[in-house]
Amino acid sequence: MWQWFLRLGSPKLFYTLTGRYMPWLAAVTVILLVTGLVWGLAFTPPDYQMGENYRIAYIHVPTATLAMGCYAMMACFSAGFLIWKIKIADMIAKSCAPIGATITAVALATGSLWGIPTWGTWWIWDARLTSTLIMLFLYVGIIALRSAFESVDDGARACAVLSLVGVVNLPIIKYSVEWWNTLHQGASNLSLSDTAANPPEVWLPAFFVGFGILGFFLIALILRTRNEILVRERRSQWVSELITGHNTEAGNA
Amino acid sequence: MPEFQFQSFAEFLAMGGHAVYVWSSYAFFAAVIAFNLIQPALAKRKIMRQQRARLAREAGRIQSPEN
Repeated sequence: MWQWFLRLGSPKLFYTLTGRYMPWLAAVTVILLVTGLVWGLAFTPPDYQMGENYRIAYIHVPTATLAMGCYAMMACFSAGFLIWKIKIADMIAKSCAPIGATITAVALATGSLWGIPTWGTWWIWDARLTSTLIMLFLYVGIIALRSAFESVDDGARACAVLSLVGVVNLPIIKYSVEWWNTLHQGASNLSLSDTAANPPEVWLPAFFVGFGILGFFLIALILRTRNEILVRERRSQWVSELITGHNTEAGNA
Repeated sequence: MPEFQFQSFAEFLAMGGHAVYVWSSYAFFAAVIAFNLIQPALAKRKIMRQQRARLAREAGRIQSPEN
């Protein structure tokens, strides 16, 4: 098991395997996203108070969840890099930051757009909104911090430490709606019963979108990590062969 | 089986008066997804071009003393 894990940490194997399975991942992702979004936009009944505006939630909830999941993942790989000095862990952590930042921006923007007609304001300094904004600043700060270092190793270490410090923000986002009186609503209670406030016909499309967005995240992460591998391993034999095209064994370019 | 919830396609686009909020949310989401796929694809082309140029340069340097 440990042997297998270490082998997966080899940039060459990562590059080969992700190249091989990318088409499958892309196909599943497209199916999930298209199904979920069309379903949520047109085939779920309107909300009795919010009307059609609640359809924004089919993007807002999955993107907000992914934004936090992405941060947790970035922190795990940062810890992996600091503890075991695994090169590819840092490459993955680096790739997480821009995706997380843009997805957090979507969660905030869709929340604002939903809030204008529902709350009567696009922004309020409530705990949930403020802590999510801090997460966006953390992502942006981590990207900026890395670009401030000449040495790849120094930048990697500094970013890993900042990522880990920022983890304290995650439980604050998650529990903000319970710890404080927020304008933001609490977590939805999902139930399989038809009489519940949120019946399956309303939240099931959100699961399709959720897994679709997870697929998109993995694709975007793999694309960025593969680029990072090409740059950092450029002196190695297999990357040279890949670039000059003498050997097509290491996955399709 | 889920049913289409709108009387017409025009009503679907109108989103019960919330068209601005709903469609700009979906548009921004689509733009961010596109950015996260296109940007790494463009970056890869640039990396390949640069590395190919570097390899060609280094090959030239190795051969040059013989000439």
